[in-house]
Amino acid sequence: MFQPVQGYRWYGYIAGALLVSLVVVLILQQTPPRFRKPLIRAITLLGGLFYALEFFLPTHPMPTPEDPQRVGNFLTPYVVPFGNTSVIIAAWTVGLGFINLVQVHSRRLLRGAEGAFNSAVLLISMAVMIVVHILQKVHPNAINKNLHHLLFDGALQSLDATMFSIIAFYIVSAAYRAFRVRSVEATFLLVTAVLVMLGQIMVAQAVTMHLPHNLHVEVIRDWILTKANAPATRAIAFGLGIGGLAVALRIWLGLERGSYFEAQE
Amino acid sequence: MEHASLTVQILLPLISVIIVATILMARRRQLFIRRIQGLTAIDEAIGRATEMGRPMLCCPGLGGIDVPTLQALSIITYIVRASARFGTRVIVPVSDPTTFPIIEEAIRDAYVAEGRPEQFNSNDIRFLSNRQFAYAASVAGLIWREQVASCFLFGLFYAESLIFAETGQQVGAIQVAGTPSTTQIPFFIAACDYVIIGDEFYAASAYLSREPTLLGSLVGQDICKGILILLVLIGAALVSLAPLIGPPAGQWFFKLFQ
Repeated sequence: MFQPVQGYRWYGYIAGALLVSLVVVLILQQTPPRFRKPLIRAITLLGGLFYALEFFLPTHPMPTPEDPQRVGNFLTPYVVPFGNTSVIIAAWTVGLGFINLVQVHSRRLLRGAEGAFNSAVLLISMAVMIVVHILQKVHPNAINKNLHHLLFDGALQSLDATMFSIIAFYIVSAAYRAFRVRSVEATFLLVTAVLVMLGQIMVAQAVTMHLPHNLHVEVIRDWILTKANAPATRAIAFGLGIGGLAVALRIWLGLERGSYFEAQE
Repeated sequence: MEHASLTVQILLPLISVIIVATILMARRRQLFIRRIQGLTAIDEAIGRATEMGRPMLCCPGLGGIDVPTLQALSIITYIVRASARFGTRVIVPVSDPTTFPIIEEAIRDAYVAEGRPEQFNSNDIRFLSNRQFAYAASVAGLIWREQVASCFLFGLFYAESLIFAETGQQVGAIQVAGTPSTTQIPFFIAACDYVIIGDEFYAASAYLSREPTLLGSLVGQDICKGILILLVLIGAALVSLAPLIGPPAGQWFFKLFQ
């Protein structure tokens, strides 16, 4: 629907989009509070209606060069551009998150409050990362690329991996508490967990291989996972699916009450 | 793009009509809702934080603007309103920048609704990071530094769930968790005091607010679950009886759900 443009037209589109956004924000700001909720409800209803109709209306073949098997209806071509608006809104809100971070930490830094050093490290790291990323995009020379690689892949990714690896120790600590034999349920949990864990290792499989087939530890493990665990998980998923649908319906039809929406009269 | 099959075209509107109908019916009569231990524990956790004079942490998870996060926000709003009455501080770390303004506004409204707008502190509704483990490290740090008395973990969680729950456990916080992420429920069960499982998560706002609309929706959900259980039982019976009645009946039934 919207084809990429180049040159002066690109700048024109950007300026036009900014102008339209500004006008929309101004209109929303000027809307009296008593009209804001009906306005939000109307937009939510229309947005939901678009996706509901696109999903339910009869389809016919609509091949494209990228997807020759595509089927759809008259609304299908608008799904991607419509969905892109949420990406644009998300891009704006990243700015809000950034402002909040800077506000919280610069206040703490200026007051010299406890943890001010950490706030300084955060603000400096943020500024350095932004500058390096922009430099790497604008002037992708070897120095900028290496600097970006060092900070992003060398530091940030490694820190992420460190946090992820800590989970292993937390699992041991949580498992120790969960598997303590304090009740009948905890004993069942312990026995089941031990059987599943034994079923994963070769030694236990080798020890039980001379027993009848149904007593092989890997067979018991598979039975627990597929006949006991999977149905229970599916049952939870069924409930969650219907619960999610009910909440979505309430929000879509403006029936949600009593939480962040106004209480029922 | 995915489109509705014939069965979905029948089942989904049917379920929607049942839920909306029960909502409309519930506005005219009183409905009963059974006790949900995990949700009752929310008041206990708020009371404990108030007695200890320490803050509470409400974590809405890693979700963006989606149904689980909105549901989590509904529970968090209840917690904020209850804590505002006792003057207990609530810290809300946010991971998704799109939800940040919504959460901030909802919490400000909650304080205003309780007549305590001066208790709202914008520093306590904090955007931390949208990177999963940077967020996890920040929340764990917050729990340690602030020595929170209660942790509420509601929303979408992934691998970081255990980092939050174990850190809360280490500082001795009373923890209540609820998530639709079925893979994270075992971790919460191992590390939290109370866990809201499955569709109890979506029943939370009805349970806490007792609004007729939400209670009606809950009854509608139960009726729909009954229909799905019936369909599962019919499928199981057709498979089990296939040697007696022949496979075509079962095959016809299964084709409906393909």
